[in-house]
Amino acid sequence: MRSSRNSFLLIVSVVVLVLSLFLNISLGSVTISTGELLDGLFFNKWERASFEQIILNYRFPKAIVAVLAGIGLSISGLQMQTFFRNPLAGPYVLGISSGAGFGVAILILAGSIFGFASTAISPWATAFAGTLGAGLILALVSLVAWRVKDSMTLLIVGIMFGAAVSAIISVLAFFSGAEALKLFTIWSLGSLGGLGWNQVGLLSFVVFLGLIPVIFSIRSFNASLLGESYAESMGVNPNRLRWLMIGSTGLLAGAITAFCGPIAFVGIAVPHLARIVWKTSDHRILFPASGICGAILLLLCDAVGQLPGSAQSLPINAVTSLIGAPLVIGLVLRKNFSKEF
Amino acid sequence: MRREVIVGANLSLGYQSGKSRKEVLQGINFKLFSGELTCLLGPNGVGKSTLIKAIMGRLPVWEGTLTVQGKSINQFTQKELAKNLAVVLTEPFIPGNMTVTQLVSLGRTPYLNWSGYLSDLDKKAVYKAIEDTKIAYIQHERLSDLSDGQRQKAFIARALAQDSPIMVLDEPTAHLDLVNRYEIMQLLREISVQKGKCVLVITHDLDIALESSDQIWLMNCGEDLLKGLPEDMVISGNINHLFPQEKFEFNTQRGRVEIKNQPGDFDIEGPLELIFWLKKALTKAGIYQVNGPIRIKNEPLFIFHKGKEYGSIESFIGGLRIGNK
Repeated sequence: MRSSRNSFLLIVSVVVLVLSLFLNISLGSVTISTGELLDGLFFNKWERASFEQIILNYRFPKAIVAVLAGIGLSISGLQMQTFFRNPLAGPYVLGISSGAGFGVAILILAGSIFGFASTAISPWATAFAGTLGAGLILALVSLVAWRVKDSMTLLIVGIMFGAAVSAIISVLAFFSGAEALKLFTIWSLGSLGGLGWNQVGLLSFVVFLGLIPVIFSIRSFNASLLGESYAESMGVNPNRLRWLMIGSTGLLAGAITAFCGPIAFVGIAVPHLARIVWKTSDHRILFPASGICGAILLLLCDAVGQLPGSAQSLPINAVTSLIGAPLVIGLVLRKNFSKEF
Repeated sequence: MRREVIVGANLSLGYQSGKSRKEVLQGINFKLFSGELTCLLGPNGVGKSTLIKAIMGRLPVWEGTLTVQGKSINQFTQKELAKNLAVVLTEPFIPGNMTVTQLVSLGRTPYLNWSGYLSDLDKKAVYKAIEDTKIAYIQHERLSDLSDGQRQKAFIARALAQDSPIMVLDEPTAHLDLVNRYEIMQLLREISVQKGKCVLVITHDLDIALESSDQIWLMNCGEDLLKGLPEDMVISGNINHLFPQEKFEFNTQRGRVEIKNQPGDFDIEGPLELIFWLKKALTKAGIYQVNGPIRIKNEPLFIFHKGKEYGSIESFIGGLRIGNK
């Protein structure tokens, strides 16, 4: 009875996901009706040539990125929360976003200070710099993880690395010019758009790679719910789980942050949302549930951020937090939150 | 029939951080047998949990040998050990969203492949564990909705589902009321006798340990374990090693620990049972001497002293206090 409820909810959520996808694509500065959209997508009959351009080269890749980022960040967040047994853990607790920010700051801010960067910076360059930065921090955290076996120590070290790197970014920001500062601030507000199909392809591939370790650690995550001692007593190898988790969240959160900037909130909140809706702690359900919820949330937030009748859209970070925070506060207050975790 | 399952010989254990080594246990010898319930008692901080950690393979053996099923503990992989030994620990994380059945299913973890899919065989073992611990009536409840006693039974069911010849429990009766404490220990006894499991229980409950265990181990600082049949331990007075002997003693007649009675100077006449309780109440109230004879009778309770009658021990003590002023 329980499992059929879970499957039913999963099917419903997939339907909602598809609807959100269409809603997201049809909204924007140019209004395109759902009928026109379906005609175009499935029969390649576009009302106007510009529609094809807008949908295929701008909105569709953006929606795909929203889905990828939603899935990746939520699943990273869930892994962190269970591994660290901490409801406030998110994809960025190991300092990945600060690391990516560090890379991009070097590119944009230090570039402007020392004059090696041009004003127009391609998404490839930021993605590359972000990946390098995230990779660097991840390597440092892994070194620590290799030495200390205690998960709480790892959590603190991750947060401290993040703090230290943020301080370096602040110093760079202090010395850089207004133009570069604005560029960096915009990157740090997060953006789902502006990526071409090549970049979307690469991002999909990396997200796919990052999801593979998750499949092989579901059993271990379930056992870890009772704490490390119990997990070990049930034959779970905590080292193996730790490396799978670092690998997976490194790839997922690292790549998404490198391409889209640090997207706040989704990674921490969505796993809680999934727990509240599905009322389970079984990771066989929670992983797909969180992934789908994350994708829906980001698609809807992005749709809301499209100011009607304007070419401008709100930065995704602002929307996720503005919409998501009250939503989760409401859910959390309605239910006994600590019981749910 | 009775088979050695865990053997520790001249075992030294401790913790190492950096260069400093802190030895907690040294020269410990023991044998655990199948089909027996062993209770380990000892003051806090003496190293009971350390011993459990070593048996769980989480702490390296410094000196001596520790074998499980005739094989050195070092040679076990995590998974092999999990199939041999299940634990119930103190203060677990309690995922409130988890149902009892889900919790018990976790016990099957060492037998599952990566996907965590439960085969019919696994489901049967889970169902059996729930039946054996008599918690079928709460199997769909969530852990956050259970009482402490029910939750403890669910955790025991989880250990049972792990289908291991050895079960180790760290203070399974802590925080429980009297009835639940007896029920849990009775359950563990059934498990050890009927399923032939080797069960090791750490507990501070001397009464219940005496009642339900086959063997009692006392652990004291810097000594080897004192081991024996509970009744032997009582008769030989070894049980007194559990507490500082100047203050407490084990009353072999009543089978319980008592504060050593200060010798009182009373002249009491009446049934022995009543005299016992009256003396106890008087010494507890700090009264060690009463002038004149006291007579006590039951149904209804009356205490006669110096021409006065009292309906309860409380009023008698009150009267004595007024008289003394």
